[in-house]
Amino acid sequence: MAPRRGAGLRAIWKTREVSTLFVLAVEVAFFTWYLLPESDRSHPFFNLDNGVLILKYSALYGIAAIGAAMVIISGGVDLSPGAVMALSGVVTGSLFVQSGQPLGIAVAGGLVMGLLAGALSAVLVTAVRLPPFIATLGVMGIARGAAFIITEGRYFDLSSRIPAGWRPFGIPADWLAPIVLLVLAVVFQVMMTGFQWGRAVFAIGGNETAALFSGLRVGRVKASVYVFAAFLASLSGIILVTVQGQGRADLATGYELDIIASAVVGGASLSGGRGSVVGAVLGTLIFGVLRNALPQIPGATFYDRLIVGVVVVVIVVVDQFIVRKGG
Amino acid sequence: MSHLVFQGITKSFGAVRALRDVSFSVLEGEAHALVGENGAGKSTLMRVLAGIVRPDAGQLTWNGRPLVLHSPRAALDQGIGMVYQEMLLFPNLSATENIFAGREVTGPFGRLRQGEMRRRTAALLDDLHVPVSPEAEVASLGAAQQQLLQIARALAFDCRILILDEPTTSLTGGETAHLFATLDRLKARGVTLLYVSHKIEEVFRLCERITVMRDGQHVGTFETPRTSPAEIVRAMVGRDLEAASPRPPGAGDSQPLLEVSGLTRRPWFEAVSLAVRAGEIVGLFGLVGSGRSEFLETLFGLYRAEKGTVRLQGQPMQFRSPVEAVRAGLALVPEERHRQGLFFNLCVSDNLLLPGENAAGRWRLDGRRERGVSRDLVERWRIKCAGTDVPPDSLSGGNQQKVVMAKWLHASPRLLLLDEPTKGVDIGAKWEIHDIVRRQAEAGMGCLVVSSDLPEVLALAHRIVVLRQGRVMGEISAGEATEESVMRLATAVRGAA
Repeated sequence: MAPRRGAGLRAIWKTREVSTLFVLAVEVAFFTWYLLPESDRSHPFFNLDNGVLILKYSALYGIAAIGAAMVIISGGVDLSPGAVMALSGVVTGSLFVQSGQPLGIAVAGGLVMGLLAGALSAVLVTAVRLPPFIATLGVMGIARGAAFIITEGRYFDLSSRIPAGWRPFGIPADWLAPIVLLVLAVVFQVMMTGFQWGRAVFAIGGNETAALFSGLRVGRVKASVYVFAAFLASLSGIILVTVQGQGRADLATGYELDIIASAVVGGASLSGGRGSVVGAVLGTLIFGVLRNALPQIPGATFYDRLIVGVVVVVIVVVDQFIVRKGG
Repeated sequence: MSHLVFQGITKSFGAVRALRDVSFSVLEGEAHALVGENGAGKSTLMRVLAGIVRPDAGQLTWNGRPLVLHSPRAALDQGIGMVYQEMLLFPNLSATENIFAGREVTGPFGRLRQGEMRRRTAALLDDLHVPVSPEAEVASLGAAQQQLLQIARALAFDCRILILDEPTTSLTGGETAHLFATLDRLKARGVTLLYVSHKIEEVFRLCERITVMRDGQHVGTFETPRTSPAEIVRAMVGRDLEAASPRPPGAGDSQPLLEVSGLTRRPWFEAVSLAVRAGEIVGLFGLVGSGRSEFLETLFGLYRAEKGTVRLQGQPMQFRSPVEAVRAGLALVPEERHRQGLFFNLCVSDNLLLPGENAAGRWRLDGRRERGVSRDLVERWRIKCAGTDVPPDSLSGGNQQKVVMAKWLHASPRLLLLDEPTKGVDIGAKWEIHDIVRRQAEAGMGCLVVSSDLPEVLALAHRIVVLRQGRVMGEISAGEATEESVMRLATAVRGAA
């Protein structure tokens, strides 16, 4: 939602983040009930290990979904996160494995590449004034293509240079993504709701003409959003390759649709001006739970894509209904 | 004599009671005016009649039989047509396609009978003396012609009751006269007219009876020959409004705040020169299409001029964007508040504070401070709203306009540019907005007001600059200005001035 300053329990309930959390809770409750085992075998779904697994799996999507949510709130859309993830991962892999650079340099190189991709999207949208769909579609192709060119079809084996039991910043490697996600979610949620910049993003998404007439720096704010989104995607891609150990050009193929769907389920409206960073993160968890639980239902293995699609439609329809009723 | 009778019509939208037990009757074949401030309920009442809104209670009868109006289609089928203030035409379609939209004439298998539709359109347009070709693309038509086309559309199918909602907002004097001639002809044919308007003079010219509404209630129905504009205004507002306040003395001859010299941007305006002093209100008058909005937008940095200079307090300035203009102390209250002035996804508080906070260069949002400031602004400018946490769509037109003005005043500009500041605003709010502008001028702000409302310009401005087709035709000081003298300049033939 746009920053609402209503006080009281009613207003809190009405915020989109809370209702998304509610949907998540209902979903977890449903699968807990549905997958309840006979006798007293341990619950295959509702246990700590599984929960952590879902969190770790969803975190990579979640980091990029933060950026997607911000872009959508600004009235645009970003189709490039998957490609940028792959490109940055591949650049990091190349610098680390091929050129033998220290990990820090390799990571920095990957991030710089991501920022360049973001800058390209930004220039295409604000200066060349391409529709964001087309601009980011182009960047997606360029980034993915560059990744393939860099790897020449092979892959970089980062695990060969990373010692087993490696603990980045003292954290176990597989916890890196969720912790980064948590930190970044807080940072960007605060930026969106506690700073003029964030309010400008909502304003531009809600009515770009009025934003221009109000003296907001529309071009600059829009550009910054695409750069942030690419930065987040690139960070996610770098974590992916360093933790999983393989830098391949076909990583994260198709991730962008899941990432956008997560943001939309979390409250972002593709017409702009509405949405939430925290909501997008919760959205990735909603899909994470679905992808984790469905294969555990006998006969449902092939249904997960279908159900994901249905969930997106249902949630958007309910959203429209609520907005129309309240408006 | 058959009547259209409103009986006890009541309608609430959530907590807002838009209509409260409204009862009155309209005689067949008369032109009946419906006046009232924004929020008085007249639009809602007409929407009930047009089948757009279902009342919570009450009944409508026509010729003694109850009217059942489930939908706009049902109303159309029963001969009730509505012409809206906003242009609800399809700009990409032709006149014929617009008139028959939704009610096309079809042959077997649903094929369109284009020839017959075109012929019927031509006959209808001819009958109503509308100078538009049936094949003309609506986007290419002027505002007046589009308005007449909307009326033609409403009349195309056996219309017995025609509702007109502020039809002359975008029309010039001449076009309004043409419209009224058409409406007179309709009256002669026995069509009942319901005329919703803010313009009292028009209502007195056209209508036999006037119904006044206030706060959702029926205040009274008056017979035009037996009442006066003052009585109507008093009924609308519930109090006596002073006629145009005496203009305060103009500023002395300090250095002009704004000096424009030879500003040109073809094809909208050419070689425009004018000056505004601190504390002065300069009215920029001209008929629709004289390039005034484009002039203001160029001053504000939205566009670049081809030629000419702009000086602020003696310093030449060229703004590359509104960001720079705001920083230099300008503010623009735009013509279309919905499209250019308000954010409907943000609350009223955000709307009020956005430009000011942004211009002040603040980074963080301080919720508590902002709540206080916005409450202050709402009180100071008497903005009627259900708290500042709601989005602005629940506010009336006049209050929305006040939000747009208040947000700019909060940014403390030295030069205020206003583009049709009271367009679509009820008479009470109009008076308040004029008062706001006068007070700002007294406090030293320079104001440039673009308006096509001649009485408004005469009441407000210290000096009036008249534009016609993008060129300055002349300047008149308030003391010498009369409706006639200004109009003469505005309609003057070039070269004769």
